[in-house]
Amino acid sequence: MIETRGISKFFSVVNENGMAEGLTAVLNVSLTIPDGAIVSMLGPSGCGKSTFLEILAGLQAPTDGEIRIDGNLVLEPLPSTRKEMEDYKRRYRFISPLANGVFTDHPKHDIAMIFQDYAVFPWMTAIQNVVFALKLRAGGNNRSGRAARSEMMDKAVFYLNKVGLAGAENKYPSQLSGGMRQRLALARALSVEPKIILMDEPFAAVDALQREKLQDDLLRLWEDAKAGNAPIIIVMVSHDVQEAVYLSDEVIVFSPGPGGTIRNRIPVAIPRPRARTDPGIVEIQERIFAILQYDINQESMYSI
Amino acid sequence: MTDQYETRGIRRVLLELGGFAKNALGNFFTPGFLCLFIPLLLLWELLPRTGLVPESLLPRLSTVAAAFWDMLLHKDLALHILYSLGRFFAAFSIAVALAVPIGLLMGWNLKIRSIFLPLWQLLSPIPPPAWVPMTIIIFGIGSSMHIFLMVIGIFYPVLFNTYQGVKDTDPRYLASARVFGASEFTLLRHVYFWHAFGAIIMSLKTGVAMGLVMLVIGEAYGGRMGIGFLLGQAKDYFLIPDMMVCMGLLGFIGWFLIEVLKYLEIKLSVWKVGR
Repeated sequence: MIETRGISKFFSVVNENGMAEGLTAVLNVSLTIPDGAIVSMLGPSGCGKSTFLEILAGLQAPTDGEIRIDGNLVLEPLPSTRKEMEDYKRRYRFISPLANGVFTDHPKHDIAMIFQDYAVFPWMTAIQNVVFALKLRAGGNNRSGRAARSEMMDKAVFYLNKVGLAGAENKYPSQLSGGMRQRLALARALSVEPKIILMDEPFAAVDALQREKLQDDLLRLWEDAKAGNAPIIIVMVSHDVQEAVYLSDEVIVFSPGPGGTIRNRIPVAIPRPRARTDPGIVEIQERIFAILQYDINQESMYSI
Repeated sequence: MTDQYETRGIRRVLLELGGFAKNALGNFFTPGFLCLFIPLLLLWELLPRTGLVPESLLPRLSTVAAAFWDMLLHKDLALHILYSLGRFFAAFSIAVALAVPIGLLMGWNLKIRSIFLPLWQLLSPIPPPAWVPMTIIIFGIGSSMHIFLMVIGIFYPVLFNTYQGVKDTDPRYLASARVFGASEFTLLRHVYFWHAFGAIIMSLKTGVAMGLVMLVIGEAYGGRMGIGFLLGQAKDYFLIPDMMVCMGLLGFIGWFLIEVLKYLEIKLSVWKVGR
């Protein structure tokens, strides 16, 4: 379970006059996501949903509020008093607060993340990418040696096959198409068998047909995990209303930025497997379209 | 799957050597270059021969070739080359072994960067040849002085390029490794280093060039062995063919080392080739 309470994120930016200025990226977002749910976040560009996702992943510290995953704090909150500030600075003199440790590989939480531009390592082959993630996840107390290694190889091959990358194990990402790279990122995320997968516009860069296939693959893998009694939470940032409604149990619409906050929470209580043209789904899509449309029109009124 | 095209043993060595020769010599045997190169060689031979240029200033190609042979037989040229190369490789290894880790650490960590960067920014603008007098006083004349001068020459380009390459690492790669649980050391070894790899190889090429410059300067200032020493000696006795032999040798060594690095880059960064 993911619980977030009153997450806000402020940045300091420089405006056109060369003065420092505060920028609110995320304002007071509170959200609880139960185990095994798929949740999508929708909203206009710049409303802070990607920032929120990075905060969830522990890649950025929230300015205010806290996130707990199964009761454990994701990142320690930023200091608020001068005294705390000095302590904080002293503690993180040499390594950043985001670091997992200096020498031992150990993830803070059981999370995998898929980035918008995949972020698979171009200097590793497909299988090396997956094995790298597996090795990191095995952590400091890994049983090194041949047995563990061949086990990891088997697992990597298994997941590569699962996402349909059989035969591309020894290709470098530069030799793969965009859709295949996305599959590789998916395989890497799934292979560590995480409890939570965070996705930042995962299917934005693939063509429409590929996208539908990837969505179905993702759902299938998610169902598999659920059937195997290891439910996965999927939190997804998306621009695509249809995708969001088709995949999710709940769609969260953010208000336009800067300073995005939750505008609506729209549950999608339609049993799976769903059809893309299911009247219930289409109805929800139209509602969300209307909401987004309204926001865009209002914004343009204000700006004129 | 991987071993489909794998060959082993001596065949593999021959294959690699063949690949290297093809890569290195390939651009010498293009019609375009030969059209320029052969006339140049002919001019070199013919201009002094016809007396258009005084032979005392520009000796013929054949004279230079004869001088090379003579030096090889009677002046221990091979030994001199060996000395120079030995020093060069010692300096190169020391400089790279220092510069790459320091560059990695500086690119990785802000604190380390803020401590060390100003130091290099102060020291690096000093032209390496300006170190010569101090070095001679401290190390005396000998191999340690030559090696130190070359280290100075090679160190800075490698350091700054490594640092820059590491600093520019795409934060998304770091983030994705961190989410999977990578420790800082793993990040350095598997992410930062490979991201900076192209920049490091580039800087090694610059380092070879700088190292050779410092080789000549150092050996010309003192010592009894080395190509730079031969060059200085040729200058003292006004032996223009010998000077040309030395220049040609230095050029050849530089070219050869850079080709080796290029081949290494092709072999080690297969992942870039597809682009």
